[in-house]
Amino acid sequence: MPKHESQLYGATMDKSDLSNEQLFGLWAEQQLNEQQRDVFEQRCLDDQAFAKQVETFNMFSMQSEHYQSDEVPSWDRASTFETSEKAHWWQWQGLPSLSFATSMLAIVMVLTGLQVRTDDGAMTISFAGKRSEQEIDKLVDVKLAEFQKTQQLALTNYTQTMQQQQMNTSTQLTQYLLGASRKERREDFAELIKYVNEQRGDDQLFYVRQLNQLQQDIYAKPDLLGTGNINE
Amino acid sequence: MFEKTDEQLIAKALQGNKQAWLNLLKRYEKQIYNYGMRMTGKNEDALDLMQEVFISVFRNLSTFRNEGSFKSWMFRIAHFRCIEFYRRKKPMQGLDDTPEIESAEISAADSIHTGQENKQLISAMQQLPLAQKAVVELKFFGQFTFDEISEQTGISANTAKSRLYGALEKLKILMEVDYA
Repeated sequence: MPKHESQLYGATMDKSDLSNEQLFGLWAEQQLNEQQRDVFEQRCLDDQAFAKQVETFNMFSMQSEHYQSDEVPSWDRASTFETSEKAHWWQWQGLPSLSFATSMLAIVMVLTGLQVRTDDGAMTISFAGKRSEQEIDKLVDVKLAEFQKTQQLALTNYTQTMQQQQMNTSTQLTQYLLGASRKERREDFAELIKYVNEQRGDDQLFYVRQLNQLQQDIYAKPDLLGTGNINE
Repeated sequence: MFEKTDEQLIAKALQGNKQAWLNLLKRYEKQIYNYGMRMTGKNEDALDLMQEVFISVFRNLSTFRNEGSFKSWMFRIAHFRCIEFYRRKKPMQGLDDTPEIESAEISAADSIHTGQENKQLISAMQQLPLAQKAVVELKFFGQFTFDEISEQTGISANTAKSRLYGALEKLKILMEVDYA
């Protein structure tokens, strides 16, 4: 501030430290203190050039006071307004601010997880993690019901599959058992027949031997056989 | 009927009220036009600069935050528009360079419908570098303090003082010549 400047010069500078320009500046704004005024007057007496400067200032100051302002010639004043035709809506100056504000709002909404919902004509604004108890209960119930339904369906499917599988297994087992017993029986019969056939073969061989023996005996002792022995 | 404040007119202009903008413009056009006259020295250039300033003011109206006066804010825009105007007109000339005055430019000041004192003053100012001219303009005609000049032009208050001091040295010679 000018006053401070004046005080500063007065307090920190020696009389002779003030340059002509500084002293002149203080005088021009009528801010000289008593001490500075003395210096100023002394400088005017000692320094002709400085005194001439002061004189010129006074003269110019007087001339400027008597300066008669010229009237403004006629000119197109409205032309200065033309450049400011009503801006189109997309040139609206608040658009960048609005854009920035909406961007910030969007960021905040994303960060906070703001949710606006309309249920049954009522609008609800809520934040994630700050749901009402009722809403949580409702949500849990819905989820539980869904889970139960899914589980029931899965269980039914599982049971049906199990039943089907068991039935298949039983059928296969029965078929296997039946097949196996048939095969065994067939084998047993085959063995029996084989045994019987072997036995019959052995018997035939025995009879053959007996007959051969008999034949040999007959041929060896024909008398016995042709005479009275028989009668005997 | 009470006159509407700058803030009220700005609010209406921002809502698209053309009349409010024109009222605001009429309130300051004289100051800006005369600023342009002193900065450029030419009536046509002053009018062009004024138009550019008001177009720029209108385009930036929504950024005006009511921190400080509207006039101060507007002159800040005017200052930067003026620098751009000079860069476009005289691209090779630096802000601190002493302008090479064409005789046509000085005589142009004469052709302006102004008083004799005004002519001398405008003519003398045209021979200052733009950086010094801006400080002289804001100090003497804008009645701004060095701190305000510093805010408006983006230089330090000390630099503003130095520029004014330097400008006065040149003006002293120019005015002596003029008055001789």
